[in-house]
Amino acid sequence: MWELFVRSLDASIVLAIAALGELIGQRSGVLNVGIEGVMLFGATFGFIVAQTTGDYTTGFIAAIAIGALIGLMHGVFSITLGVDQVVSGMGIWILGFGLTTYIGNPYTGPLGMARIDRIGGMSPFFYLALALIILTWFVLNKTSLGLKIRSVGENPAVAEVSGIGVNRIRYMCVIVSGMLMGLAGGVYGLSYNPVWNYNFLMGWGFIALALVFFSMWNPFIMFGGAVLFGALWQLALSPEFILPGVMSRYLWRMVPFVITVVVLVVMSTRWFRTRWGAAKPEALGMPYRKEG
Amino acid sequence: MKIAEHDIRLVKRVELPWWNAALISIFSIVVALILFSLVFVHSGVNPINGFKEIFQFAFLNRNGLPLTINRSIFIFLCTCAFIIPYRAGLWNIGMAGQLYAGALGAFGVMYLFGAKGDPNLYIAPGIGIPLMMIGAMLAGGLIGGIAGFLRGRFNVNEIVTTMMLNSIGFWFVSYMVKEGGPFMNPVGRSESFDLPVSVRAPLIFGIPFTLVVALLLAVLLYWVFAKTRIGYKIKSYGHNPLAAKYSGINPQVIPVLVFVLGGMIAGLAAYHYFGAVPGVFKVARNYAEFGDLSFYGIICGLIAQGNPLAAIPISLLFGGLTNGGRFAQGKLQMGFGVDYALLGVMMITMVVLQFFYRYKIVWIKPEKEISDVGIIR
Amino acid sequence: MPTDNQIKKNAVLEARGITKRFPGCCANEQIDFEIKAGEVHAILGENGAGKTTLMNILFGLYQPDEGELYFDGEKVDFKSPLDAIKKGIGMVHQKRKLVMAHSVIENIMLGHPHAGEILNFKRVKQEVTELCEKYGFKLDLNAKVWQLSEGQRQSVEIIKALYRGAKVLILDEPTSALSPPETRNLLDSIRTMAESDLAVVPFITHKLPVVLDISHRVTVLRNGKVTAQFATEGATEKSLAKSMVGREVIIKLDKVEVERGKPVLEVENLSAYSEKDYLALKGVSFTIHEGEIFGIAGVSGNGQEELAEVLAGLRSATTGTILLDGEDITRNSTLERWRKGVGYVPAERNEVGSIADYSLIDNVAMNYYFEEEYVPRGVINYKGLRELTENLIAEYNVATPGPDVNARALSGGNLQKLILARVLSRKPRLIIASLPTQGLDVGAIEFVQNKLLQAKKDKAAILLISGEIEEALSLSDRVAPIYEGELMDIIPWTDAERDNVGAMMAGIKPKVESL
Repeated sequence: MWELFVRSLDASIVLAIAALGELIGQRSGVLNVGIEGVMLFGATFGFIVAQTTGDYTTGFIAAIAIGALIGLMHGVFSITLGVDQVVSGMGIWILGFGLTTYIGNPYTGPLGMARIDRIGGMSPFFYLALALIILTWFVLNKTSLGLKIRSVGENPAVAEVSGIGVNRIRYMCVIVSGMLMGLAGGVYGLSYNPVWNYNFLMGWGFIALALVFFSMWNPFIMFGGAVLFGALWQLALSPEFILPGVMSRYLWRMVPFVITVVVLVVMSTRWFRTRWGAAKPEALGMPYRKEG
Repeated sequence: MKIAEHDIRLVKRVELPWWNAALISIFSIVVALILFSLVFVHSGVNPINGFKEIFQFAFLNRNGLPLTINRSIFIFLCTCAFIIPYRAGLWNIGMAGQLYAGALGAFGVMYLFGAKGDPNLYIAPGIGIPLMMIGAMLAGGLIGGIAGFLRGRFNVNEIVTTMMLNSIGFWFVSYMVKEGGPFMNPVGRSESFDLPVSVRAPLIFGIPFTLVVALLLAVLLYWVFAKTRIGYKIKSYGHNPLAAKYSGINPQVIPVLVFVLGGMIAGLAAYHYFGAVPGVFKVARNYAEFGDLSFYGIICGLIAQGNPLAAIPISLLFGGLTNGGRFAQGKLQMGFGVDYALLGVMMITMVVLQFFYRYKIVWIKPEKEISDVGIIR
Repeated sequence: MPTDNQIKKNAVLEARGITKRFPGCCANEQIDFEIKAGEVHAILGENGAGKTTLMNILFGLYQPDEGELYFDGEKVDFKSPLDAIKKGIGMVHQKRKLVMAHSVIENIMLGHPHAGEILNFKRVKQEVTELCEKYGFKLDLNAKVWQLSEGQRQSVEIIKALYRGAKVLILDEPTSALSPPETRNLLDSIRTMAESDLAVVPFITHKLPVVLDISHRVTVLRNGKVTAQFATEGATEKSLAKSMVGREVIIKLDKVEVERGKPVLEVENLSAYSEKDYLALKGVSFTIHEGEIFGIAGVSGNGQEELAEVLAGLRSATTGTILLDGEDITRNSTLERWRKGVGYVPAERNEVGSIADYSLIDNVAMNYYFEEEYVPRGVINYKGLRELTENLIAEYNVATPGPDVNARALSGGNLQKLILARVLSRKPRLIIASLPTQGLDVGAIEFVQNKLLQAKKDKAAILLISGEIEEALSLSDRVAPIYEGELMDIIPWTDAERDNVGAMMAGIKPKVESL
């Protein structure tokens, strides 16, 4: 049972780090629906580099670097060129899906390296994720930088006249956001599921996106959601733990996705909506151009 | 910016004439193909040679051309499934899930006829084929409708919902056709039972009749969006939901409508590939690859800018490219996934060029004074 | 009232020969003035006189084509608003520049050097509280801005500018969104600011009494030029108006006398929630008759927007009934109401009233797509619609190259004419006109008002929602001031007095006449 718990936390960590990246970007007003694509890039490049060099650290650095690069690309499209953010995100998702399938194919199969050691029974990324979440919360709510990020996401025109470089802040946020998504991909491909297969993320990026909507842009609520979802995912993979032999294992695999949809619906009821409306960054998804 | 004494400026477009839009679309395809040639270079293949192989097989080869057309019909139907919600400002990326449902719907009808385990069962084609199509469309429409209903009634993000429904559909098909699932082929493994010979689709020059259905659909959709009340309502909602609501258009109904219609067409795409294309006639083991292929519908829809007629040549091109790509991959001994790489490169080029729908680059010669009011500051 | 020792101070801000050319309107030509510390210096002018352009130049949004600006005697060249802020110019726009979701204190801290890398709430709160006390502003620093009234939000912006060290405070139409008591408080604060050597520059269009009351000097703009500059001492409303308009008469609408017919709209005990989920409309009852204009006068945000939406079917009523010509339409959809003769002209022309990327023909179709005449059996008759659009364009003098251009290309006034044409051409029984003249120039205002009067003659019942007391009083047959979702009273125009209506808009209950 403990093993199941630890394993489910491993899944939660991937989701939490990815969703944290998305949350930071969204707080600055940039929506990235291509999170799945960035994670695929991170997972694939991390996997290839780690396998080639035989070194985990280099692999993770590669995952973060490619994430930063893709984040930068999303920034150029959606901030500088003013392309619709959903279109750009879709592009990044399909680019990631298509290119990693081609690039990663020769590496199909297990990573073939010793598993990363656990610290105190937990994956080291568990501590990293916790630290990142607390740090993000602190920066967003307690520092001047955080106030700037939130203001840019709410009302860029106001931020601009208050002397804040809107595009600079947004670029910073999409790049950090891409790094975290890339890292999440790396953790998935090098630690959680180190067997490369095409599209082996299976929609986790979209679940992370749903988590951000669910979190009402609060990192702690987001983490709670990630923990619950990780447990759900793990139970769906090994349903025999609670209900042995009740349903086909294929049907169990559907459950986490069904529950994601159900949760999103519950959150959209009137009670939630009024709170959601207040929390949602006002300028989310809108390109900004200077007046005058 | 100045190049060779010419002032280069970005000017915001006030309007976009159709031929300009078409030019941008063609340009984006050309740029993507040039970028794509890097894939050939990466595999040590001369790009010109590579493209020659692709196009020759896809469009000039007696074996290749029917495969291309079959793929193109499929991609075209997926494009329509994307376009209808897109005109309402909504993103249907759930063609995969909808077509899985459509496949199960079509074969569900046959299951009810008792076709499982009896490939020689006689069903009158005039009854069986329409019923299969209806089954596919109902199932696809139902799955699509879920996303539309949740969007209209609860404002749930349709991108997330349709993607979740893709995964749900994927596993549900697995359940149905694998490990003793209800639709499992009693002889083969991990695929559905065979379609009875009697209800195989009629062919026209070796191409299933679904080609005609697709062409009629293109004309019908074009007309609906250009001339009819329902098309007007969908477009209004897509441009400005608040204004649409103000003018009496029900904002809860439109998302349901467009997603049901889109899902129905995706269901039809499933019928086409699993029930009508010669040589398949079952829910194939590699059904997920068709789910992946459906994402071409997004790209075609974006390039065609929501115009169903423009989607025809674009679908044909992509049908050919993916088909020829598969072939070239084998013949030139390139890595797996060439068609996937094309998908990615095409999509991202498309995104960049979206920019030119709103801005144009103007070269200003030094001797001529041009004053533009709409210059971005 | 001005005193001599205040005027003798040096100029803080000086404009010399400011010229800005635009194709079309609102240019500035050779503008000179100087603003001194401790002085309230009003800039007066009609819409289109070039006030906004001048303001944008002072604030660094535009750069002048000719002329110079001097700040504290030193030549300055503002490249952006930030340069202006750094020098000590504070600007309070008519359109709020605040982050609605953030608290007051967060808004004030944004971009301020005292905020600190790790937000130093304690220090800023203390300093801001001192400022508020000094100038007489009452603000809850922890409240979220969206919870505040429009007047309080303006105070937040003033405090924000002062806290950033503004020496010159430019106020754009500072009293336009305020109720009369709020106006009085603001004027008191402005006086205190002038006493502490700040220069205050209000830009004002209409409210001449305010100008006389508060300012020491006035600069009047007309057609982009300075037409007069004088000390307010000794000036009168008439003399101000004369130099502003260039002629002595002030346009006054003639009442159109129409015999009041049978009731068209009967509203009983109507309540509704707002977007933010509070009860915005609280049990409103009234009746509008044929040939009657019923004015709702109120500061925006007091439930009049919700009232219009409930009547148009865009928002559901929590209690109450709506009768149209005696028929209950409370549960009818928006579409059914259009069909039954409700015509709604929304305040948000661009966001709600039109579709920017649609041609004018398709925009006209917004109110006709459901009519069999133009869309027989579901197929749109574009020929008929084109004819209709061309006729409307001609009848309403909409300036456009043709019916095929997108609505995006029309100016605000022309767009409003098109919307009005579209709605009125349906010959509605009930017209709901929400802020129909907001943001329009003088010519367009007159045009819109006359069209409404014409509709009145044609026996329509008209609900006019207005934020301008003058407009409400001059057009309406009866006026109902609205405050916090309640109608304070319903007054026939013959009995309505400006001050009285103004007081009720601010929530002061009408006095009960003693017998």
